[in-house]
Amino acid sequence: MSGFFKAIGKWFSTFGEAVVHGDAFVKLSLLWMGAGYARRKQYIKALIMTVLEVAVIAFTFTFAVQYVSKFGTLGTVQMEKVFNMETMKSEFNDYDNSFQILLYSLISFVVWFAFIVIWMRNVVNVRRLQVEAELGHHINTFREDMRTYLDEKFHITLLTLPVLGIVIFTAIPILLLILVAFTNYDQNHMPPTSLFWWVGFDNFISLFGGGGLTSTFGYAFVRVLGWTLVWAFFATFTTYIGGILLSLLLNSSKTRLPKLWRTLFVVTIAVPQFVSLLLVRNFFSNGGIVNTICANIGLTGFLRNIGLISTSYIPFLSAPGWAHVMIILINIWIGVPYQMLIATGVLMNLPSDQLESARVDGASPFQIFRKITMPYMLFVTGPALVTDFVKNINNFNVIYLLTENVYTTTNQAMANSQAKEVDLLVTWLFRLTQDYYNYKMASVIGIMVFIICAVFTLFAFNKLISGDREEEYQ
Amino acid sequence: MKLKKALAVALAAGMTMSCAMCVSADELETISLTVWGAEEDQDLLGELASGFAETYAEYANFDIQIGVESESTAKDTILTDVEAAADVFAFPDDQLNALVSAGALLNLEEYDEMLQAYAGTSLETIKSENVEGSVDAASIDGSLYAFPRAADNGYFLYYNASVLSEEDVASWDSLLAAAAEAGGKVGMVLNSGWYNASFFYGAGFTTGLNDDGTTTIDWNGTSEDGYTGVQVTQAMLEIAANEAFMAIADGDTSNQIASGDLVAVVSGTWDAEACQTAFGDGYAATKLPTYTIGEDQVQQGSVSGYKYVGANGYSENSGWAVLLAAYMTSESSQEEYFTQRQSGPSNIAVASSDAVLENVAQAALAEQSAYGQVQRVGDKYWDPTATFGENIAQGTLAVDDEAAIQEALDTLVEGVTAAIE
Repeated sequence: MSGFFKAIGKWFSTFGEAVVHGDAFVKLSLLWMGAGYARRKQYIKALIMTVLEVAVIAFTFTFAVQYVSKFGTLGTVQMEKVFNMETMKSEFNDYDNSFQILLYSLISFVVWFAFIVIWMRNVVNVRRLQVEAELGHHINTFREDMRTYLDEKFHITLLTLPVLGIVIFTAIPILLLILVAFTNYDQNHMPPTSLFWWVGFDNFISLFGGGGLTSTFGYAFVRVLGWTLVWAFFATFTTYIGGILLSLLLNSSKTRLPKLWRTLFVVTIAVPQFVSLLLVRNFFSNGGIVNTICANIGLTGFLRNIGLISTSYIPFLSAPGWAHVMIILINIWIGVPYQMLIATGVLMNLPSDQLESARVDGASPFQIFRKITMPYMLFVTGPALVTDFVKNINNFNVIYLLTENVYTTTNQAMANSQAKEVDLLVTWLFRLTQDYYNYKMASVIGIMVFIICAVFTLFAFNKLISGDREEEYQ
Repeated sequence: MKLKKALAVALAAGMTMSCAMCVSADELETISLTVWGAEEDQDLLGELASGFAETYAEYANFDIQIGVESESTAKDTILTDVEAAADVFAFPDDQLNALVSAGALLNLEEYDEMLQAYAGTSLETIKSENVEGSVDAASIDGSLYAFPRAADNGYFLYYNASVLSEEDVASWDSLLAAAAEAGGKVGMVLNSGWYNASFFYGAGFTTGLNDDGTTTIDWNGTSEDGYTGVQVTQAMLEIAANEAFMAIADGDTSNQIASGDLVAVVSGTWDAEACQTAFGDGYAATKLPTYTIGEDQVQQGSVSGYKYVGANGYSENSGWAVLLAAYMTSESSQEEYFTQRQSGPSNIAVASSDAVLENVAQAALAEQSAYGQVQRVGDKYWDPTATFGENIAQGTLAVDDEAAIQEALDTLVEGVTAAIE
């Protein structure tokens, strides 16, 4: 953390130093970004910088200003229209669209931020050129500069596209989500017909029971969060352990036709997950084939006699408890083949000298598993385990496809908040936005999920699998 | 030879003239419109669109694109981006309020004059041509927002006449008794506020919608007819606890009909074919039975649902969009919908035609519609009522525990009437 702030401090001090000590052209670069390069005869760079500067100024005045100027209010002009019978067309006024204002303002801020970084960097660069010129060093031509991007600055060339992708596809949506959490964007304020506006921290206050929402929202949030964590834990570890055991079994010299078995398990991956999940959901539905079989062989009657169920069917996916266990079991079936593939790959690289010496020393297979195989697996797949956990927190597919339209909660307090016992935060979030257009609360929950995942990941990576573990393993 | 030349000249002149005519036809503006309708209606929509283009060919050329959008999900897709949605789309009545409040539907009153000028009809005429309920359900503050197209979005009782008699299906008591005797089951969805409201509506309870999108509901009190919500719930619990009753999960009705265990089922016209297959010669349908509260037999109510075609509030060529929507819901179009798609018409003339009256399911629907009402509720209505119905289906409430039932009803009302955050 402190390193981060130090870097920022250094960045600004370098910039300040460049401005103060720079010559006239460096100072002129503050206004005309090409000035410093032009002075050092780097005309192509000067041109590029000038074009960039003009482009950003044009972007600002033709595009950004009309949205950013309304960013404070998110628009004030309500949509109005009249029908013109002469042309048979509707004539609209020049109405504000709050969402467009929010989105385009955000894009403008990102562009400006990037531009300011480039602008400051530019001043620092031309100051460096000035120093080098004063020392009589060679000033690179444009061609030489370009070549550095294939040599010592190759990392910049490689990282440009990914960074751009992250900004456009990850950073901007996340920032937008964060901004929406501070507005009243919901079904009563749907652009373009209605405007929405800033409401400060109201949504966060109502999430934690400060009124405005139903009294059960906080109740539901705690329960949904609890199940989310329980699910993520079991879903991650059952498939992980299951995958390792399965691959050990397949790798064992006593297993016949290991390739055939492995192929069979991998085939389940080839079937799209949603197809198999929907099929399984139908198998286990209240009137599904599994229930019919259980009723025919008398299992349903037996369970009812011993008081485990009160219904005329086994509520595999429609009662809390039953559904929770079933979802985890079905997930094992869905998830184990993936883990098996990973585990097989890792096990093939197990240092055979260690196994050999353990065997010579008379270690039992279980001891080998506990002392050599597992530590090695954990060491190699630890980071993947953390990612899996986070992925399971957001495992939309399994939960949604298995329970949507099948599971009806009998808990009225949950129902009053549109939640179910089997909901993960993310499926609840989905229903809140998709069915209730409650974008603002969805954003608030989204931020909560993000914080949970971020904290867990940081903690896990820092404490559980930091770099010094390598020696520990050795 | 001369004759031939003269002929050629005449031909050439003729061609020039005809070309001149085709040029003048090209001068007509080309109006682009998009229509969204159900997948199974696509052929019919195509026919209607070309019929429309022909009818109004003197005013403009029409380029009508037809897209697939299930009526049940129309709202979700349209509200995602109203400005990019189709000019004309089909949807059921429960989506109307959300669509209107999002500005996705034109107020048709503004187009009355235009309809009179172009279509030779008026809103007044259209309103009088369709059943009252269908007009009411599409009107907000006296303004019509969509043209009624169908009145078949309701439910009634299908039964197997070779097992059950007409007297049997008159009340739930006799129906369940007869079904038990025959070893069959009577199925109904309880975990949906669309179905389970029928018991409450029958006893005189109501639901309603406020201007701010919140729902009103009085099920925890005493109804106009003097019944309490607790009494209705007790009656429902008695029915649900009966051995011959099967609580069907929402959306699972067709499967259950096909399984062959049922001798009677509460469903709508969409299951007509499934019931015909399952019941064979015994295929019959009628209004819903009465149920027992104390000494009284109370006629079970129902939800009368309608389907509409509306014009997008952000349609550029809104005049033509309205005309197209009006055309697609006219008497002749509804006739086509009935013959091609077995869709029950909202147009009174079509609904009273012999063909419709002879249809078993449509006749039962018409019979039940006397006890039906429009269900106008907000989004918060659905989850609490589904859970309430599920509790009844699973029997988690005890029939004689009136305090617990009252508490459940109070919680239900609290959830349904909750403010929209």
